[in-house]
Amino acid sequence: MDAASPARRRTERAVGLLAVAAVATALTLGLAVAPPDVVQGQAQRLMYVHVPAALTAYLAFATVLLGSVAYLLRRDLKWDMRAQAAAELGVGMTALAIALGSLWGRPVWGVWWAWDPRLVSTAVLLLIYLGYLGIRGLAEDPHTNARRAAVVGILGFVNVPIVHFSVVWWRTLHQGPTVLAPGSSPPIEGVMLAALAAGWVSFTLLAAWVFLRRIRVLAAAVRTSGSAVTGGPPIRVFARRNL
Amino acid sequence: MSTARIAFSIARRDVSLELSGREASITVLPFVAALMMLAGLGLGGQGPVLSAAAPGLVWLVVLVSAIPLARGVAAAERADGCWDLLRALASPTALLAGKLAALWLWLLIAWAVASMLAVALLGAAWRPEAAVAGVLGTFGVAVTTVVLGVLLPHGARRPGLIAVLLVPGAVPVLIAGTHLAAPATSGLPWALLLASYDAISLITAYAVFPALLEE
Repeated sequence: MDAASPARRRTERAVGLLAVAAVATALTLGLAVAPPDVVQGQAQRLMYVHVPAALTAYLAFATVLLGSVAYLLRRDLKWDMRAQAAAELGVGMTALAIALGSLWGRPVWGVWWAWDPRLVSTAVLLLIYLGYLGIRGLAEDPHTNARRAAVVGILGFVNVPIVHFSVVWWRTLHQGPTVLAPGSSPPIEGVMLAALAAGWVSFTLLAAWVFLRRIRVLAAAVRTSGSAVTGGPPIRVFARRNL
Repeated sequence: MSTARIAFSIARRDVSLELSGREASITVLPFVAALMMLAGLGLGGQGPVLSAAAPGLVWLVVLVSAIPLARGVAAAERADGCWDLLRALASPTALLAGKLAALWLWLLIAWAVASMLAVALLGAAWRPEAAVAGVLGTFGVAVTTVVLGVLLPHGARRPGLIAVLLVPGAVPVLIAGTHLAAPATSGLPWALLLASYDAISLITAYAVFPALLEE
């Protein structure tokens, strides 16, 4: 039985409706309004999905870090659920960003994969958070799982900047920042920038909606003591501390 | 007893256990030797190619050898049922320092054997900077390996999870260690990168280690 409060349900529904509107706007701007890129052609439209997916993944992994730190400080499983939901979302978004980047790289760079800092850092992130999800469910006590996962969530995230900079020093091929490029105005046409922004907003809202729903499912699984969560790592609960 | 003395006792105990059982050396050293020898065949046997690939190969071997070494971090205590006693007697800092010292030593030995074989078999050039990389790089890998060795329980998924969590995170060691050992590169930035990696890993491990000992 789902025991989410009416206010939380209303928030979830509102976020879902906003996400649908944002997706419709982003699709219209990205596919119909924005022109194809002069150099890259139609392949450039993948950027309206690839960049938002990557940004959403970074946001999700930052949420994992916050949830992990909060769990270790408070020992409340609600923080662990947030970290788990964010990690699942982050892994999905990272895989999507890598796949879309690869699809874009083939016509533009001529290769499916390049040894570029951002690509390598993102692949490292994906592997670390796959390991993070693999650790969950090893123990039967949810607090043991949460504690181990929190440690990996923190260790994984703090390593990311130094992994990134080490590969940047090694070599770089990836396109530099466009919107945040130094200078008075970004070297991107206004309608393209609008399509990119709409894509980012829609991805963030969609991710927020999935995140809220996933937390609700995880909380329900914990409440029903011992039931596994469909579509995710099993959560077996034998102790209900701090719930 | 001070933390340093307890840490020293734990490290000495781990070294004694290894010297009596030789589990790590039997597991890791033949693997290191076999990999370095087979690399010559796998890479085509041409001198310039082998000597260029040798520094990176040494660090790949060190990273992969950390996976079986992680198993031994708390294995003896858990097998004897004295892990709980050790956690009760030693502070988290002493336990981390003791385990880290012992594992660092095994990784240094693995790195030294791999480096010697790289010079002897693959024609790699020896540079003093490579020794700096060996000391700093193995320390960073040892920190993460100790945390993961204590964190992950025994089971079929353990080696795979350690590989997924340890090796990608050690990319800075692989890159900086390779550059420090390669000829004609400036050593200082890479040594600083390794030192930063070590510092970040150690501070994080120090912060999270008490939580790992609660089980």
